[in-house]
Amino acid sequence: MGLRSFLHRLTAPSPSGQNPKGPCKMVCVVNQGLKMGKGKMAAQVGHGAVMATMKAGSIKPLYLEQWLATGQKKVCLKGTDAEHLLVLEKSAKEAGIMTTLVHDAGHTQIPSGSLTVLALGPDTEEQFQAITGELKLL
Amino acid sequence: MVSTAEDPSMVLIARKDLKMSAGKLAVQCSHAAVTCTLNARKSHARLVERWKNGGARKICLRADDLETLQRLAGQAQAAGLVTTLVKDAGHTEVPPGTITVLGIGPAPRRAIDALVSDLKPY
Repeated sequence: MGLRSFLHRLTAPSPSGQNPKGPCKMVCVVNQGLKMGKGKMAAQVGHGAVMATMKAGSIKPLYLEQWLATGQKKVCLKGTDAEHLLVLEKSAKEAGIMTTLVHDAGHTQIPSGSLTVLALGPDTEEQFQAITGELKLL
Repeated sequence: MVSTAEDPSMVLIARKDLKMSAGKLAVQCSHAAVTCTLNARKSHARLVERWKNGGARKICLRADDLETLQRLAGQAQAAGLVTTLVKDAGHTEVPPGTITVLGIGPAPRRAIDALVSDLKPY
């Protein structure tokens, strides 16, 4: 171990917050109202996943750690349109799940600023049940 | 936003021969994107910052088969780029341990283009 990482370990604050109860996953809801190609969708979900990961690192580090250690489980679901995504975002927020909205810069395929993906979590599976339990797999 | 050859970008190269569904493809690509970002944060912190500020550009390309993916991974590593091969746990669609996606970057677009210029968008 280098000197700097040793010092860092001594002085870094211990991870705070509560431990997740049960296995964690991340859920990405894709706006099906837009006509996106498969590759476009994949890139947008990628944006959502990276943003959600960064967010979790500062808000719920213990959730993030557990999620990464257990194979970073992700699920992709279908949302009907932008309003649907916003409704889901609201109910997820109320349940205390971290939410991330992805707006496209619109370089290709769809108009600039379109809401493409809602990324939720990482959070426990039972937390998600009530919110995204009814949505279909993409 | 106009990007120059020096602006950082990330490519996610998926195997076409696996015939994954849209959702599966998206999930595998985001595995690659997250893993690449986390790895790059340790080794290329400044590049990651620049990449995120520039809109975290990501492009999804397709490759014909596993050999192409492994060849590209080797070349990218040799060029000193951040590289991730995603191995699927195989809960759905494909057998366990299948390599599905190769993530490269964030790296300057010039370096990425040199490797993948002959691939098509997925």
